[in-house]
Amino acid sequence: MTFWLVLTVNSITFGGLLFLLSAGFSLIFGLMRIPNLTHGSLFMLGAYFGATFIGGYLTLQFDFWVAAVLAALSVAVFGAVIERLLLRQLPGQQMAQVLVTLGISFMVADFCLLLWGGDPINVATPQGLAGFVRAGPAVFPLYRLGVIAIAAAIAAALWLLLDRTRLGAMIRAGVDDPDMARVVGIRVSQLFTIVFALGAGLAAFAGVVGAPILSVYPGLDQDMLPLALVVVILGGSGSLLGSFVGSIIIGFIYNFGQALFPELAYFVLFLPMLLVLILRPQGLFGRFVP
Amino acid sequence: MATNALELSGIEAFYGDSHVLHAVTFACGPARLLGLLGRNGAGKSTCMNVTVGLLAPRRGDIFVFGHRVTGLPPEQIAARGVALVPQGRRIFKSLTVRENLVVAARAPTDGRPASWTLETVFAMFPRLGERVNHIAAYLSGGEQQMLAIGRALMGNPRVLLMDEPSEGLAPQIVHEVMNTIRKLKESGLSIVLVEQNPTLVFDVADDIVILNSGRVAVVSTPAKLKQENVDLRQHLGVF
Ligand SMILES: Nc1ncnc2c1ncn2[C@@H]1O[C@H](COP(=O)(O)OP(=O)(O)OP(=O)(O)O)[C@@H](O)[C@H]1O
Ligand SMILES: [Mg+2]
Repeated sequence: MTFWLVLTVNSITFGGLLFLLSAGFSLIFGLMRIPNLTHGSLFMLGAYFGATFIGGYLTLQFDFWVAAVLAALSVAVFGAVIERLLLRQLPGQQMAQVLVTLGISFMVADFCLLLWGGDPINVATPQGLAGFVRAGPAVFPLYRLGVIAIAAAIAAALWLLLDRTRLGAMIRAGVDDPDMARVVGIRVSQLFTIVFALGAGLAAFAGVVGAPILSVYPGLDQDMLPLALVVVILGGSGSLLGSFVGSIIIGFIYNFGQALFPELAYFVLFLPMLLVLILRPQGLFGRFVP
Repeated sequence: MATNALELSGIEAFYGDSHVLHAVTFACGPARLLGLLGRNGAGKSTCMNVTVGLLAPRRGDIFVFGHRVTGLPPEQIAARGVALVPQGRRIFKSLTVRENLVVAARAPTDGRPASWTLETVFAMFPRLGERVNHIAAYLSGGEQQMLAIGRALMGNPRVLLMDEPSEGLAPQIVHEVMNTIRKLKESGLSIVLVEQNPTLVFDVADDIVILNSGRVAVVSTPAKLKQENVDLRQHLGVF
């Protein structure tokens, strides 16, 4: 019983992390039609930045959350630069976008290896969330519950932003009909940069928040990218709700799969994706376009 | 004479290799309504696309109240006070009625207080007010046309371009739309009204321009055209 309870909490925590990672991936793909294969790298880059800020390697030592926000901002700027300088030159050319973003991900991986070496870096749980919560016989790390709360809060904030603000409506208008959106005066190109930067920042934030659980190591990018892909294919691209539900589902499948059928973990993980691709290619909550 | 609200001068426009507009020149005076006529494929919508910045002309210039806007991106031309009710309406389908209007809101270019707001648009089109939270895709054709007009007005434009606003609407709705256009003209807006059907336009237009195969064939007024009994069929096909 305790085992299942702990596994459940772990699944939701991992789902929360996946949501932070995949929400941006899904928005970028759904809104801009860019398959951003650097997304795993942005997660890893954020994790390394965060670990560096926290570990005091830069003479200054930052609080965990300050470090997470700083890492997110830095990577958001990096994302904006990639969008402006590279992807902007390849509108609608998905093959070129795939190759460019894949290329950048290899470069980021090399850069990280060079700078931070091959050994995993462990990041301590932030103070205040280091304890445990007892629920009967089960014991949960407080931090995992904290991650769930943060992911839920960010999901709510993103939903409000996209669904309830003028900026969000402008972004959706830019997706419906980019030319017409420009004609009514919406600066679609700026919006796309904002969306890309936001997605990059969220991925980086997820990287830092995930670091105390996953640690930071070379290859983290390639571990995370497929998960983001699966989530988005399952949930449907461009749908925030889709990323949310998809992340939780994958969080469960991943954790339960590893616990119950460790040899088949990947098989179990990709099976639902295949089923969705065959039965409902737009994903469970594919964007509504009548 | 006062500066024109909109002036196209010697416009040459291409889609790829196909040459669509040939030395197109015409002007719409301030607070006047110019009827732009021409049969299918004459180049009317292309004139609109060039004016709003969706298609850069290869040669020629566009002026809005004396300011050259040639080659500016669409969002900057919108900022100069040009709004378009496009052919086929092109409302933002997945947005609500309110969102369609709000995303296009803009203060007037010349610092006047905004005369078009959600309230004034809903006052003009009460049907939209009743459907404010509906997804635009589920509106009827007439309601979508009203929404497209309302969206253009939310930009508080000085020049309003309307590309076949009667297309695909029931006669009763066409009548409503024409009444709206008349009111907008009385409010002092400069309007270019594109149509295929001359009888609709002759009622409201001050000036008439007829395009034929991408060239300006006639520049006149409804009164003169009627008086001279010009055979429009030659330019417009048979009605
Ligand atoms: N995007 C495009 N690419 C290539 N050719 C185009 C494009 N749009 C229009 N054309 C061509 O340009 C010419 C002018 O088209 P335009 O849409 O301006 O005509 P129109 O007068 O608006 O006609 P309609 O009354 O049917 O709307 C036509 O021959 C049309 O086939
Ligand atoms: Mg047309």
